[in-house]
Amino acid sequence: MPPLPRQKSTRRKQIETMALYPLAWLEERSGLVGAVKYFLFRKVPRDVGWPQTLGSATLTAFLVQAVTGVILAMYYKPHPDTAYESIQKITNEVTLGWLVRGMHRWGASVMIILLFFHMARVFLYGAYKYPRELNWIVGVLLLALTLFEGLTGYLLPWDETGYWATVVAININGTAPILGPFIVNVLQGGAEIGEDTLSRFYSLHMLVAPGGIFALIGLHLYLVIRLGVSSPPWSDEAAGREREPEPPGSGRSGLTQPGPRGAAK
Amino acid sequence: MRPIDERRAQQKRYKEDVEREGKPFYPFAMFHDTVMSLIVVAVIIGLSVIWKVTVPGDAGEEGYGTEPGWIGPLYSEPADPGTTSFTPRPDWYFYFLFYLLRIFKWPESVILGTVGIPTILLVILIMLPFLDLRRERRLSRRPVAITALIVTAISMGVLTYKGATAKEALASEVVAEVPKWVAEQGLPPEAEPGARLFAGVGCVACHTYLGTGSSSLGAPDLTEVGARRQGGVDGFVAFLKNPPAPMIQFANLPDDDLRKIAIFLDASKGPKDE
Repeated sequence: MPPLPRQKSTRRKQIETMALYPLAWLEERSGLVGAVKYFLFRKVPRDVGWPQTLGSATLTAFLVQAVTGVILAMYYKPHPDTAYESIQKITNEVTLGWLVRGMHRWGASVMIILLFFHMARVFLYGAYKYPRELNWIVGVLLLALTLFEGLTGYLLPWDETGYWATVVAININGTAPILGPFIVNVLQGGAEIGEDTLSRFYSLHMLVAPGGIFALIGLHLYLVIRLGVSSPPWSDEAAGREREPEPPGSGRSGLTQPGPRGAAK
Repeated sequence: MRPIDERRAQQKRYKEDVEREGKPFYPFAMFHDTVMSLIVVAVIIGLSVIWKVTVPGDAGEEGYGTEPGWIGPLYSEPADPGTTSFTPRPDWYFYFLFYLLRIFKWPESVILGTVGIPTILLVILIMLPFLDLRRERRLSRRPVAITALIVTAISMGVLTYKGATAKEALASEVVAEVPKWVAEQGLPPEAEPGARLFAGVGCVACHTYLGTGSSSLGAPDLTEVGARRQGGVDGFVAFLKNPPAPMIQFANLPDDDLRKIAIFLDASKGPKDE
């Protein structure tokens, strides 16, 4: 006689229900537990490997920027009279301030390199093609916003490098036909680069652009989960690969015995 | 079958294959993602440590942090809108655009380098999925795409390298050229103070004068500018105070200095005949 399935004691059941109650409560009111389960246990093609980690690596670099940026904002003072001094203080006096600022400064470079590699991977895999066109466009917007973060962040230490690079960057935008003077006005906030410019760059750098990046990353991930991750196109087991059509009348497949994998469905 | 129907059928087949043959994201793909993310954070921390530790000197010393270590200084000197002797230089990931600007000349084509090419590149990137409508994903059957990728990667690499290694003339070296300018251009004595200012405040970070200097941002050669422009000294003063983009405004310089530079520019009419 086969052993009976193990019965859980009533007491054990009660404990489990109690322990899981917060999750059940959350699930009933939001469906979030189910959403996370779906995210974690959704299937990806079996030939997905290291090249497909570049996107999440870029996300990690961005999260490093977000966390270190919040800490820097607590010590940084965005005014031409105080900015440079506060940067010196962060770098030389605040406990581990050099590490936080260093991670923000170098995290930017790492994020941009990863973005380009991620983009090259998507291009090589042809993963921008139907039905993922929209996600490619979202990615290009993310690239533009990230470069804009680099541009606006460069001015904030208010040192010679950042100042003169910004003078040139704003002048470059000024050469645009029709829109040029308008863009200069919006970025500069006055007749010349000064305290108003610094305030604007600070606001753009830590509110506008990161807000846009967060929102677009959300959309980017939603589309990845909805449409799925591409297999490498050269893989023999690529999901969605072309099959040889079954020659008509070949064998008895499908009638008296299951055909090749999947054909019996 | 219409192309769109073929694509839809393929996506349907993809979804079925993933459902039947795929692996769950957790723990398989997530393992790779986690390892990669840890590497990324480690690299960022490593760069920060190298950056801080290799900077010479001790915190608290005068000028600490402005000398580069292995991978650059902690910060440069405080911004000073009054001195223009500083050479403008963006962060490394803009070097390819920065160098692109040397290829174009003001005023005819500089707009191509500043706005034209970046805009075109951005539009092409956004439009890519609609420019390449074939379903084919295998590299061996996408020669145009592969060529485009290689050409883009190489040209961005070369432009970045050129931008990184581009040498701008140091103000002190340029000032040493002034006597040569006076001799070769036949400058009158009253133009010499202006020549020293011109060499010292950074004009040659973008402009060329008698073969010295750069051609950033498409800035023109100024050796014969006095013969080219007919506005006289006052015309040059007005120009320097409010030049057309992308040239930097020199309104922060004292009027006296601007006038000296203007006298020098007005007197620059090209090398005198031997």
